[in-house]
Amino acid sequence: MSATKDDIYAAIATVIDPEVGFNLVAMGLIYDASCNEEKGAKVTMTLSTKACPLHQMIVTWVKEAVTKIDGVDSCEVELVWEPPWNISMADEDVIKALGGM
Amino acid sequence: MFNISQDFAPPFKLIAPYFRIGTFFYLAASVLVMFFGADIFHLDVYVLSWVHLFLLGFVMMTMLGAMAQLIPVVLEVGHFSVGVFYFIWPLLLLGMLMLVAGFYMAPALLPYGGAVVLVSIIIFVTDALLTLRKTEKLGSIAIRGILLPNVFLLAGLIVGIVMALGFTGAITIDIHSWLLGHVYLLLGGYVIITVMGLSLILLPMFGLSHGFSERPINLAMWLISFGVIAVAMGAILGISSLKILGFLLSFSAVTVYFYQLWIIYKTRARKEHDVWASSMYVAFVSMLVSMVFGAVYLLGGEHKYLLSAFWVLFYGLFGFVIIGHLYKIVPFLVWFERFSPLVGKQKVPMLADMVPTRAAGFQFWLSLTGAVICLAGFLGSSDLVFKSGAAFLIMGALVLVHNVRFMMNFKEGL
Repeated sequence: MSATKDDIYAAIATVIDPEVGFNLVAMGLIYDASCNEEKGAKVTMTLSTKACPLHQMIVTWVKEAVTKIDGVDSCEVELVWEPPWNISMADEDVIKALGGM
Repeated sequence: MFNISQDFAPPFKLIAPYFRIGTFFYLAASVLVMFFGADIFHLDVYVLSWVHLFLLGFVMMTMLGAMAQLIPVVLEVGHFSVGVFYFIWPLLLLGMLMLVAGFYMAPALLPYGGAVVLVSIIIFVTDALLTLRKTEKLGSIAIRGILLPNVFLLAGLIVGIVMALGFTGAITIDIHSWLLGHVYLLLGGYVIITVMGLSLILLPMFGLSHGFSERPINLAMWLISFGVIAVAMGAILGISSLKILGFLLSFSAVTVYFYQLWIIYKTRARKEHDVWASSMYVAFVSMLVSMVFGAVYLLGGEHKYLLSAFWVLFYGLFGFVIIGHLYKIVPFLVWFERFSPLVGKQKVPMLADMVPTRAAGFQFWLSLTGAVICLAGFLGSSDLVFKSGAAFLIMGALVLVHNVRFMMNFKEGL
């Protein structure tokens, strides 16, 4: 049985951006996730800035987290810049912690 | 799909010497300030010696180390040859020491010191330009933020070497006229334009600002570029009207730049006031204050306003913008080297955990208090006030050395 979108989001929620201290799902950086019948997952995500010096590592961490799920053999990460990320995409507790509320 | 380079972060051991040496010379410069009087003359050999120690030993050394990391971040490709950074700092250090000694007691060393510094900068600029060629995004930020300052840097150093030859008597030039061109090319053309270019990347990145217009900074960078060219040409060729035009363009550029900063500030999502944010406030207010003092001097003000303008520029803008970013860049490099391989295997610290928050706060307030008291010493022509400010600066610099050492040696949880 292949993994569900919720499974993938839960796995990615273990990945934390060390600069801001929040996980990628709470930051609103994950746009979509799916897994096909061949157990290949695909994650569409963005980053809080194009100039993020950690972007190659973050992508690697996402792949590692997702491939740990039972029912996922491989993971492709598509990094996109449209729509551009903004703080309103983050969870309310993230916005509040950053001082935006 | 975004192209992901595997060569983004240079090894920590490559960049660490730049930050160690840079903070050491910040401390050394602060100690030497104690031997200034409030009535120093800007062309005194002791002052010239100190200025080169501060600018090359602290400002340039730290900026080059930061650029080793930031150039790949901005251009989104790895360095053409990151290994050259092993050679740049020893050459810069040697050249700086020769210049400092040359100004203070052995003028014959000046052309040689200048040449060694030039070689180190040529190596840096060559890598930067060849890295620029690798990128497909020869867009606005890459061109203006990397190319323009480096061209001005080379031009400023060449002017400096010509001046050094004039200083030793090898050639005959009006050193006082060329000095303005040298200072403007290096401080305005290199340091200020680099600060402007990088601030468009770093301020939104750390403040999580989005959806703002970049038109003001585009305009500001063109204005200051033409301003630098006009002042440098006016100074070297002795054309006053060109210098005045250049000053006006520069003041306009800074004004427009402040509008850009305001836009970024208003759109930021991250509103916590850590030591980085506090340092940026001080740095950018200092830029404005320095400009006001500079304008007062140019409009016929006393010499003390010229000293005050440069003091605020050096210890306010350069000091705080560089030190503030050390609290971001050093933890990142250490984290990347030591902790990133452990992600997913064990609990790792956040970058903010690696900053000694209380000590960083002490350093911030000691340095700020020292800089303000020294400024009061200049304005009030009081040696006593000036030296008491210098004492605060030294304490702040000592705490900075401790903080950088703490962050570099951070191994908690390993």
